[in-house]
Amino acid sequence: MQHAIQQIVDGFAAGSIYGALALALVLVYRATGMINFAQGLLAVASTYIAWTVWRAGFPLLAAVVLAVAAALVLGAFTERVVIRRFEGGPPHTAVVATIALLILINGLTGSIWGYVSQPFPSLFPSGTVTVGGVVLAIPSLATTGVLIVVVVLLQLLFLRTRLGLGLRAVADNPESSALSGLNVGRLLMVGWALAAALGALAGVLIAPKVYLDPTMMDTILVYALAAAVLGGLDSPLGAVVAAWIIGVTENLAGTYIPYVRDDLKIGVPLVAMFVILLTRPQGLFGRRKAARV
Amino acid sequence: MNASRALKVALPLGVLVVLAIVPLSATPYTNYQLSLVGTFAVAILGLNIVSGYAGQISLGQSAFMGVGAYAAAFGVAHGWPVVLSFVVAALLPAAIGALVAIPAVRLRGNALAVVTIILPIIAVPLAKRYAGVTGGSEGRSVDWAHVPSGTGLEDDQWRYYLVLVVAAVLFLLGRNILSGRIGRAFAIVRTNEAVASAMGISTHRYKVVAFTIAAGYGGAAGFLYVLVVQFASPDLLNFQVTINMLAALVIGGFANLWGAVIAGLFYVYVPVVAGAVDPSRTNIFYGAVVLVVLFIVPGGVSGGIVRLVRALLARLRGRGPASPAPPRPRASGPESTPPSLRAGAGSRKEPQ
Repeated sequence: MQHAIQQIVDGFAAGSIYGALALALVLVYRATGMINFAQGLLAVASTYIAWTVWRAGFPLLAAVVLAVAAALVLGAFTERVVIRRFEGGPPHTAVVATIALLILINGLTGSIWGYVSQPFPSLFPSGTVTVGGVVLAIPSLATTGVLIVVVVLLQLLFLRTRLGLGLRAVADNPESSALSGLNVGRLLMVGWALAAALGALAGVLIAPKVYLDPTMMDTILVYALAAAVLGGLDSPLGAVVAAWIIGVTENLAGTYIPYVRDDLKIGVPLVAMFVILLTRPQGLFGRRKAARV
Repeated sequence: MNASRALKVALPLGVLVVLAIVPLSATPYTNYQLSLVGTFAVAILGLNIVSGYAGQISLGQSAFMGVGAYAAAFGVAHGWPVVLSFVVAALLPAAIGALVAIPAVRLRGNALAVVTIILPIIAVPLAKRYAGVTGGSEGRSVDWAHVPSGTGLEDDQWRYYLVLVVAAVLFLLGRNILSGRIGRAFAIVRTNEAVASAMGISTHRYKVVAFTIAAGYGGAAGFLYVLVVQFASPDLLNFQVTINMLAALVIGGFANLWGAVIAGLFYVYVPVVAGAVDPSRTNIFYGAVVLVVLFIVPGGVSGGIVRLVRALLARLRGRGPASPAPPRPRASGPESTPPSLRAGAGSRKEPQ
């Protein structure tokens, strides 16, 4: 039992990292209606920035804050310079534009920082705490805590601020928003910037576990995509809950189902996602859309 | 009489003749690369059928290609007749494609696209695990398809011609499927599912058909891959391969047979050119080229060429305006949306 609880807590921690990236995907999807395949690579680039600052002798927390700030700029820049041209066009072209960005940023990070895996320090102490007789790893608890704080902050931003209202309005109906005097372009930029910042957070949380290299987020992106779709693509809360379900399922299946083991554990949440979507095509928390003829 | 119609017959024939002559004087490496172009053109044609013509983005094509490659390699290693290897290599992925598609087509758009990722993601660890069939992480090498003695050809030329013949047949087959009843059904499923249902066209059934055909083409391409490269490995199953094929397809042009050919050229040659420019910066070059092409011709290269040729033909016949009209967003495939449904078309005047 003790072991199972540890696995569940670790699953929540892994799920929180998927959730942070899934939130980024959801933000972009809500703002611009596209799935950003470059989201993971933007996160990698931001994490490298944190790594560089940290290696230069700054405290880790300062490096992370700086990287998140850099990610805001990077996200806004990407939207303004590249994505803006494809908004409102054929969705397939927009998706491939983000795929092109993925390849491009992979090349850029590789040529700047190299393809060798680099160790990355953890933000959290590596100790354990004992809660009710169960030994739990502090990084796992802290990672989950960070995501909960992020979700609460995002909810406050969306529901309690003028900026959040604008973001929701643009996501809901760009034309009416523009007619009501909202600067749609700038709000989309803000959406992409926030998404990139969330990605940076996911990057610095996962890097200590998997080491930092340009392909670090590739697998995480698949999990995040699954979480975003399972959650309904337009629901931030749905994405996080789905990410936790994915993280926990994967960890338990990898540990307790002999056939699955480590190499196939990624398949378990994906197949589960497929089965759930078949009964709820709009996702766990997504809104059902009526088709208009 | 009709210049554009004559062109439609002459162009493929001309291309075929050129393609038949090229390998006689080209280096073995060039023939190898061109054979790969044909191979990936077939795989991308499959992707084009499901994503371009039927409008369902699939991220699983590399898995079908990989299964086809493994089936071919397995057949060769066990001494199956070549035709049997080919049939299994094409039909096994098609069957898997149909089995996955039957439930999956209940989903739409992005959800369907993300679900199709599952195939390559699961296929890679499975291929590594069942080493008895697949050769594990190292893959399975085969030694076959040598030129029959007495033809005066080299192996690379012989394999090139095999790829050319198979690819030409598959493209012709694809053209016939897509210009007939099934193709028209795909077009209406892509443009408006509600209308399709109202017309008595089962969107589910035709999406399954599209996925099945696409998987079959992927499997056939896997067979060709093993013919050319003599090797099947988990790398071919990788999700990245699908991503790159999809990027190449959009560059080549959705819902256009030539789009798949251009995409095959792009898929094989752009990394080669990028590697020649600076081997350590291949990805920067590749990504930048894709973006630039998307900036210049968002509809893909084939659509751009079609527009250019049509404008030239119109001028030759003296029916065109004195100065080239702003390019109309013309339909590039035999059955695409009428211009008025395309974004931006409404704001432009139709040239009389």
